[in-house]
Amino acid sequence: MNDETDAKRDRDRAFQREALVCLADVTRYALALTRNEADADDLVQETFLRAYRSWDRYEPGTECRGWLFTICRNQFLNSRARAQREVALEAPELEARQAAMVHDTVRNSPLEETWLRADLAPAIQRALGELPEVLRSAVILVDMQDMKYDEAARVLEVPVGTVRSRLFRGRRLLQEALLTYAQDAGYAPSDTQADRGSDR
Amino acid sequence: MKLFRRHKHPHGPEMLDCEAVMQQLWDYLDEELSPDRMAAIQSHLAMCARCYPQYEFERSFLTALDRAQQEHSDPAGLRDRVAGALRAEGMVEI
Repeated sequence: MNDETDAKRDRDRAFQREALVCLADVTRYALALTRNEADADDLVQETFLRAYRSWDRYEPGTECRGWLFTICRNQFLNSRARAQREVALEAPELEARQAAMVHDTVRNSPLEETWLRADLAPAIQRALGELPEVLRSAVILVDMQDMKYDEAARVLEVPVGTVRSRLFRGRRLLQEALLTYAQDAGYAPSDTQADRGSDR
Repeated sequence: MKLFRRHKHPHGPEMLDCEAVMQQLWDYLDEELSPDRMAAIQSHLAMCARCYPQYEFERSFLTALDRAQQEHSDPAGLRDRVAGALRAEGMVEI
């Protein structure tokens, strides 16, 4: 009986030490997925309950944050019936070149400074929320949670090349959305918009 | 946000054209390339008046993304809620 109690205590301590310390990161990921604090709260609670119930399947010392993100995302997708999962993707190199076109559009305007305006944050969050989930998750994991491509691939359960494609496409769509926002708000000139479809 | 380190090229500089640099710019910013390729792109950017502004543009964009993370308005409240749910599940050490 005592052995059993000690084992449970050790298990709970390990969960606290490895999983619960990731609460802030999981919360940010859930907020970015749900775009709604009440839904994020439910998602975070469900993520940690599922993780606690499945703790025996977790391999101690491995990437616990990534394991929690996988649970969080699967739970989110289940609640959304895996909507928007399929997105046609271009080759990463093509996405990178198309992103360069966004820069060409604003080459003579101070958009680098515009990116860093404090009041652009809500627009970035809104634009991020409008991305298809598969692109949004890639951007969140790499650009906001600082994961390497292979770590993000494990969370998303896809090959590294797919992460790369989704990430580059997501970034380009975000840049285009933010450029439109900046032009509408008068931060960037709109008379260059006609150039947006041109090739390099 | 990832740190942008200086990459040394052990075998002398590899020459890349602008097109190759543009195609790998995000991989470079994400530090996902080999040390040799990182060094080659870094050398190119240091000399190229066409590519460097593009690099600065993308780097500023990634910095803005990193700064735009939404934070929870009541993290302590959420922590209490999660702790309560775990206690109800049988967790004792919390």
